[in-house]
Amino acid sequence: MSALYAWIAELAQRGLLPAQFQYPFITRGVLAVLILAPLLGGLSHIVVARRLAFFSTALGQAALTGLTIGLVLGEPIGSAYGGIFGFCMLSALGMIYVKRRSRLPPDTLIGVFMALTLGLGICLLVAATRRFNIHQIEAVMFGSLLTVTDLDLLLLLVVAIIVLGALAWSYNRLLQDSLSPSLARVAGVDNAKIEYLFVILLTAAIVVSLKIIGALLVEALVVVPAATARNISRTTRGYFAFSVLAALVAGLGGISISSAWSVPTGGAVVLALAALFFVTFALGALRSSGGESAR
Amino acid sequence: MTEPPLLEASDVTIRHDGHTILERISLEVQKGSIHAIMGPNGAGKSSLLAALLGQIAFSGTIRCHWRGNGRIGYVPQSFPVDPTLPLTVAELLALPRQKRPVCLGLAKHTKKKIAELLDQVALPGLANRRLGALSGGEIRRVLLANALDPLPELLLLDEPGTGLDTDSMTRLEAVILAAKSCTTVLMVSHDAEQVRRLADRVTVIDRVVQRTGSAAEIL
Repeated sequence: MSALYAWIAELAQRGLLPAQFQYPFITRGVLAVLILAPLLGGLSHIVVARRLAFFSTALGQAALTGLTIGLVLGEPIGSAYGGIFGFCMLSALGMIYVKRRSRLPPDTLIGVFMALTLGLGICLLVAATRRFNIHQIEAVMFGSLLTVTDLDLLLLLVVAIIVLGALAWSYNRLLQDSLSPSLARVAGVDNAKIEYLFVILLTAAIVVSLKIIGALLVEALVVVPAATARNISRTTRGYFAFSVLAALVAGLGGISISSAWSVPTGGAVVLALAALFFVTFALGALRSSGGESAR
Repeated sequence: MTEPPLLEASDVTIRHDGHTILERISLEVQKGSIHAIMGPNGAGKSSLLAALLGQIAFSGTIRCHWRGNGRIGYVPQSFPVDPTLPLTVAELLALPRQKRPVCLGLAKHTKKKIAELLDQVALPGLANRRLGALSGGEIRRVLLANALDPLPELLLLDEPGTGLDTDSMTRLEAVILAAKSCTTVLMVSHDAEQVRRLADRVTVIDRVVQRTGSAAEIL
């Protein structure tokens, strides 16, 4: 990887790439965004179709608790993947298990789980901050390019390949189940299996994205790209393509903002995404005011 | 020797939350017929369909004597469509018909099949229309097209006429009558006029079977 960084830095010095690319952490950030955009953009329109936006928020918050569990159990702060992945997966599967067996509305149940994980996280955070500087934990909460390592990138790439492969394999059944579980079942879709499969994929994608986007903001990247795309899409193909494009543009824009003004990457990416949402919202409103009369 | 019925339900009982929704329902649906289940709201008609589809727990037995592919086609009573959902009619119909993720486009053979299906339900040229832009009658016919491919041995229709205007109803009924020549239809309805026009046999239920016989006898 260092040869790649050196080559890119040389291109930046020759003026063929922006000057920021002289720093390997910027290159790592751009590579991460190039992987994250199809991963989270691709998942996001299924998240919105299945109404899992609040569920994703709860997962982001569970990640914070997972981090503190990892730290308390002795994992290094830069790669507490065991605690984060383990706790997020446990929370995600727990939420779906209870949702499938309870008659309470899903958002109420997710609220209960969120309160539980947050309460646990806050209690453990006090213990964790005795051993670590709170600013180190902030990097996980809000995302930071400075802490992304080559190993994180490799993990992100491997998980992205697995998740996108599984998503492509199950995509049509997932969408059928999102539109009408009863029709999907008649067509041979196992509703429970497909729901569990999707939350496992989503959880894995969220966990490997945390270092760049941050635990508190990762939910935005699995919801806002789809919301942005929905404003201007008329077909599922366009919906998917615009979701990925929105995640890519916001990711690259966020890195530029973050390196130019020294603000957390996650916050900058989410601001860029929100800006894109309102641009497409205006475009969609303009088109429908013209299109409705044409239809 | 007489052929056994395509569908045979015996003593089907459904209980939910301590309440009895259906009590010892028995019925037989003959192959190649249109059999209607009628009854007032809350009589348990849709629950019976859900039991036939294996979607809710029941006691008793439901047996199908398949002669062909053993496939069940189903058109639900409601199919709530988010009007902002960017999904076209062709994409919806492609979901169970191609392996390639629909978000990566439709295969040529899928497009051809969908055009044939839409012709069959008198909706030619609607493939690229967004689902949210369809009327209730058009959505019902799209779902019927979905249920008719591959041709099912048993077609279940839950209140097929609900919320449709006269024109949409006439078009839908024409498709159902055409389907009868190659499949068996079991429909739930509370519309006596529609049942009179379509059904060969009728079973009236209100938690229990009240009457069963030919449409002429019952209506």
